[in-house]
Amino acid sequence: MDRRESIKNILLGSIGSSVLLESCVSSLDKEVLDKIWEYQYGRTPEEKERDKKFLNSKFFNENELKTIEKIANIILPPNEIGNINDAGVVEMFEFIAKDWSTPAHNNYGEKVLRRGVIVFDELCSEKFGLKLLECSESQIKLLFDEISYEDKSLKDQKESVKLFATFRGMVVTGYFTSEIGIKDLDYKGNTPNVWDGVPNDVLDQYKGIVSYDKEWIDKCVDQSKRGEIAEWDEEGNLLT
Amino acid sequence: MEIINNSKEYDVIVVGSGAGGGMATKILSDAGLKIAVVEAGPYFDPANPDQMTQLKWPWESPRRGSGTTRAFGDFHMSYGDWEVDGEPYTVEKDTSFRWWRSRMLGGRTNHWGRISLRFGPKDFKSKDYDGLGENWPISYDDIKPYYDKLDKLIGVFGTKENIFNEPDGFFLPPPKPRLHELFYIKGARKSGVTVIPSRLSILTKRINNTRGVCFYCGQCDRSCSAYADFSSSSCYVIPSLKGGMVDLYTNSMVIEVKTDKNGRATGVSYINKDNGREYSIKGKVVVLAASACSSARILLNSKSKAHPNGLGNSSNLIGKYLHDTTGAGRSVFIPDLINRKTYNEDGVGGMHVYSPWWLDNKKLDFPRGYHIEIGRSFTMPEYGFGYNPNEFNKFFGLKVGGYGDKLRQDVKKYYGSTIGLSGRGEAIPRKDNYCEIDPNTKDKWGIPVLKFRYKWSDYELKQAKHMHDTFEELAYNMGGIALGNKPTKEQNYGISAPGEIIHEVGTTRMGNDPYNSVVNKYERLHDVDNVFVVDAGPFVSQADKNPTWTIMALSWRTSEYIIDQLKKQNI
Repeated sequence: MDRRESIKNILLGSIGSSVLLESCVSSLDKEVLDKIWEYQYGRTPEEKERDKKFLNSKFFNENELKTIEKIANIILPPNEIGNINDAGVVEMFEFIAKDWSTPAHNNYGEKVLRRGVIVFDELCSEKFGLKLLECSESQIKLLFDEISYEDKSLKDQKESVKLFATFRGMVVTGYFTSEIGIKDLDYKGNTPNVWDGVPNDVLDQYKGIVSYDKEWIDKCVDQSKRGEIAEWDEEGNLLT
Repeated sequence: MEIINNSKEYDVIVVGSGAGGGMATKILSDAGLKIAVVEAGPYFDPANPDQMTQLKWPWESPRRGSGTTRAFGDFHMSYGDWEVDGEPYTVEKDTSFRWWRSRMLGGRTNHWGRISLRFGPKDFKSKDYDGLGENWPISYDDIKPYYDKLDKLIGVFGTKENIFNEPDGFFLPPPKPRLHELFYIKGARKSGVTVIPSRLSILTKRINNTRGVCFYCGQCDRSCSAYADFSSSSCYVIPSLKGGMVDLYTNSMVIEVKTDKNGRATGVSYINKDNGREYSIKGKVVVLAASACSSARILLNSKSKAHPNGLGNSSNLIGKYLHDTTGAGRSVFIPDLINRKTYNEDGVGGMHVYSPWWLDNKKLDFPRGYHIEIGRSFTMPEYGFGYNPNEFNKFFGLKVGGYGDKLRQDVKKYYGSTIGLSGRGEAIPRKDNYCEIDPNTKDKWGIPVLKFRYKWSDYELKQAKHMHDTFEELAYNMGGIALGNKPTKEQNYGISAPGEIIHEVGTTRMGNDPYNSVVNKYERLHDVDNVFVVDAGPFVSQADKNPTWTIMALSWRTSEYIIDQLKKQNI
């Protein structure tokens, strides 16, 4: 049984009441199941309920989603590794808009994310007489050239500049926390391995700046003996 | 409300399953005693795939790991954080305290940094050195055998260094330093700051046939499914359940310790959170390990004719002398670390090197020391990654901001180029920093809650100032730039809010004098001979050392004392 199957069984069977059993029985919910499978990350029953609620409600309308997608594609354009859609950036905007739409988050979804779409649309209307979605990429870039840098002479930045910085942060975070973004960044961890120090080619690069000293390294773990059960003498010297 | 009584009588009831409670459960049940463990949260096993977050990718969370439901992020293994639904606490005006609670089997040991430092000889007798606070009624020699046993049972890596107040133990070998840690070592040596391999309870080498060996994912805060890091759930309670001597009550929130007409404990009452009903169980001995403040709360709420002030509170000191570790932090940008070659540098969950306290306070304007922890940025991205992606352009006269492929290049260029420095220092315990019962507030179960009153004194503020001075010197000597401005006096030198370092201790402090302490040197209430406290409540002072190793060593010692006293039929 693969992971997806086993999780489906768990959802439909044994755990029951704690996870969306009530909605699992209808065929409508294949999509829900797939979403929950996609987001199987060690949730408590309460957390699952919260995710389920937000994954099955809508915050942005289609136009807003398309606007976000267009903005995101300009902030981080597609490359040979993938694009904003592959990275699920728009879905992340949609989810966070709901997840953070509480007074504790100062209604971030409404006051920041939706507000951003409105303000960028307004600026496009002023500049080009068009909504952002109707603008060409080069027109949008003309706008972004103006609002993507802070004006150092101002103590408090203009709303459009602040909103752009937030959108940029969300897009960069969304992209680089996705499967393709992590590939693009070339992060190589999150996988079982045996750490045995900084690779030699990297150490070579830092010659004259930093290096391992023998005395320190001699005290470190001998990875060829990591599987041998530790034993000490009475003085605390490791024997194995 | 009807109370449901369980007729069974246990030898010992242990309240709480974290470091202190787990330790006691293991030692007491191994000795053949019948134990009830009463835990306020649900069952948790780091190896349970339904609960596991280890090795998950950020995209497996729809919020990419951000901290909406868990304050330290979606993948962090703590059920409960600064806030627990329906279980508030209050704070006196113009003071502050933040209280972290992990409601789950194993408690906070599932998420902690595994920094496993012994207190040194000086730490038990600080008053002899500076006249402040109070000495412990025990010395390093009293507790050393338990630290030794703990090292061998649980496993901690480190090195023998022969530093007087940083006692060596039975260490597993440490991992080699990471690249940024080599920069730290260089900077520390130039600055005259001691730097040695860190001491963490993570298995770099096999310690027995039931726990795995570290596979270097760097995620101990998610709790290890191979049991290669120490959690009370995986290392104490779950194995003890297999011995048949332990009954585990989960989702069971203790209300009070029950006493007979002579004032001796007869058991505890608790709320079953699944059905909201009140139950009681009987025991010959009650061991409180609910965490320093929760145990204080239970005792203060245990009022009776014999103990009108709360159980064990004839001294009026329960809740007093509450103190947390001090903290201040700074990030350092290292230009030599831009455009790094990528490779897997996750390592263990936490730093591979650190600086123990290296100065003599007699020559300084604050009384107690701090250690420095080293953080990293060459890590798996999570929500928050890449905000201000090219802020460091300012150091090169380049424009900050923009968008497009240039921005993408900047993200990669600066990835892994910062180092985090965190000072963790010793505060002076004060009677006027405390928690007490708030007479006006109850939690959703109807149990009166705690109210906190806590202020740092000049001792702690001057220490935080010194931390920042040190960070700047270290940054310079690493060839880096300390980021942001040095916090000013008005900003309290950037010191953490009390409670924020999650090392709160001292609420049932230990001593020989019943008028000046709550428990004796075996962590037994002065007022009642069959109630013990084995969390961090009995700490007289907390050194600049993370408390877990000392909680467990003391709990082991107390457990042996309980076994001995039961054998002799003294309790």
